[in-house]
Amino acid sequence: MKLWQKLSLVTVSVLLIASLIFAGIVISHSASYDQGKTMENYEQQLKSTAYALSREIASSSLGEYRDTTRNSYLGFLLQRYDASQYILVGPDQVICNETSFELANPWDERWNGDKVFSVIQRRGEQYILLAGKKIPVTEGGDYRLILVRDISSLYRDIRDQAFFYLAVYFGMAVLAVLLVFFLAKRILRPLSELQRAARDIREGDFARRADVRTRDETGMLAADFNAMAERIEGQVRELSEESERRRQMLGSLAHELKTPMTSIIGYSDSLLHVNLREEQKERALLHIYEQCRRLERLSGKLMSLVGMYDNDSIHLEQTRMEELFLQVVSLEEFHLRKRGISLVHSCHMEDRKVDRDLFTSLLVNLIDNGAKASAEGGTVFLLGEENRITVKDQGCGIPGEEIRRVTEAFYMVDKARSRKEGGCGLGLSLCVRIAQLHGARLCIESKVGKGTAVSVIFPEE
Amino acid sequence: MKTKILVIEDDNSISELICMNLEAAGYEPVPFLDGLEAEAFITGTEADGERAGEISLALVDVMLPGKDGFALLEDLERAKIPVIFLTAKADVVSKVHGLKAGAEDYIVKPFEVLELLVRMEKVLKRTGRGRRQIQIRDVVIDLEKHSVMRKGERVALKPMEYELLVTLALEKNIAFSRQELLNRIWGTDYVGETRTVDVHIGQLRKKLGFHDVIRTISKTGYRLEDME
Repeated sequence: MKLWQKLSLVTVSVLLIASLIFAGIVISHSASYDQGKTMENYEQQLKSTAYALSREIASSSLGEYRDTTRNSYLGFLLQRYDASQYILVGPDQVICNETSFELANPWDERWNGDKVFSVIQRRGEQYILLAGKKIPVTEGGDYRLILVRDISSLYRDIRDQAFFYLAVYFGMAVLAVLLVFFLAKRILRPLSELQRAARDIREGDFARRADVRTRDETGMLAADFNAMAERIEGQVRELSEESERRRQMLGSLAHELKTPMTSIIGYSDSLLHVNLREEQKERALLHIYEQCRRLERLSGKLMSLVGMYDNDSIHLEQTRMEELFLQVVSLEEFHLRKRGISLVHSCHMEDRKVDRDLFTSLLVNLIDNGAKASAEGGTVFLLGEENRITVKDQGCGIPGEEIRRVTEAFYMVDKARSRKEGGCGLGLSLCVRIAQLHGARLCIESKVGKGTAVSVIFPEE
Repeated sequence: MKTKILVIEDDNSISELICMNLEAAGYEPVPFLDGLEAEAFITGTEADGERAGEISLALVDVMLPGKDGFALLEDLERAKIPVIFLTAKADVVSKVHGLKAGAEDYIVKPFEVLELLVRMEKVLKRTGRGRRQIQIRDVVIDLEKHSVMRKGERVALKPMEYELLVTLALEKNIAFSRQELLNRIWGTDYVGETRTVDVHIGQLRKKLGFHDVIRTISKTGYRLEDME
């Protein structure tokens, strides 16, 4: 069952039960009130009649008459007070009864009180009120006056009223049910919108948001839901971008493996099946050797790139940057001098926490790149200042549209040249990764023909 | 005169590999490592003794520095040089693109030497640049007349013997396995023993005096050796 239906049912049943109890109490209360009022009226009437009769009796000298005379006189007196309503009972006989009602026991002591005693008797469809009291007469024994009234109309009224109430009640109930259902559905509409949104997202529409603008809990829920969807969308996008990068990297890797593989397979195939001259055989072997070395370099770089995804592999230690620079320079100097390139360095940096080996490899990579880009006689600068280390060259530069891509694995601006120099397009990818591990980022600025500056920028402390 | 083949491939190692095998198979390779240099040669601005008109076929790498293989295709077409693409891109789209653009064939790296040579032979034959006769020592095979002359005298060969000789001679210096020879000459649906090949080879050796020319390569098969 749906929530709005449950809510409506619960509300409606509670409402109906409560109002039913309320109506019952009100009706029964008003019925007993009406009844009480009516009885009180009749008792009052009885009292005044009884009093008047007693006065009449007292002022006449009834004692002097005989019974018959006295009784007919009393009957005559009663005529004046509407005898059809009364039964007058003497000490030993019923003196006057013009009602359509016969008392079962006129001398019942209940009728002989100073106070009015009343009882309601049911006869068929009729309700009969009997109220009786003693007429205070001093001599000649007690008389009793009993009022007999058909009060069926009172009950009829009460019943009619109850029926009326019930009719109104059911009318209201139907109206209330409809209203509650309508309102519950309306109030819970944001929930179904949320549900639809969740389903759409589940089916892959990550841009879907719940359109709920209420300011109650559902509104808050929807806002949180949308925030969550936003986050999921972002992460899904990130993930798919990452997997796209991985895919491209794998594609590049496969392609990068193909060239040496083609050589190795081709040369060994030739050695096996082709009638080659001696010197050709030697060349073939040399090529196989070189291509295998190339594969080895590639796999080494790949291993270090993969290895660096283990965060345990980094050991940060407080390092004097000048020392590190000197180490890098001593590593690179000989190598660069051979190519006729000079290396200039300066360091104005505070000590920093770095992984010595990785950071050395980062700087060596950057300097190698600079040297490769430089013509003979060129200079590569290694500059450290505050939170930035810059490696600058005055070489060929990188074309604007390529700058974004140079850090991609296997990307090479000048493939043929890069290969000749033993590159495999992984250097800058490694640098980016090392910088990331140190919380730093790599910034590349370049102008074609003017040179390139690659900066490792540490975050401000 | 040897058939000249243009080899446009930027990877030095692969370029040398192709040239080495073309030489062994009796072609004359003309290598270029750069797209622009190749273009200059094809369009005829370079004059270093060789001319584009003498080229029978071009083996072109798709990814080239300077000018890529697809771009070179136009120049090669204008110079009426048939093209076989060599590429590491094995996807269908690249293949279709290459073939649609007008290449005669499309070979994916890594390739086998024999496959390359056979495909080249097919393209040369199709474009009417195939060899008309092959000379091995004192034996001349006339591919048009289907005749074999030894020292000016006609040698009578059975059809299968002739086919076998032509197959070995076209890809001379390259080894064929017995199974390959069976497939190529007797057809893939031929249910026979590889002994059949040995018998025919024996006949050829005897009839042509090729005992030291058709060599048995252990564990592989046969190779017709002829180094000029």
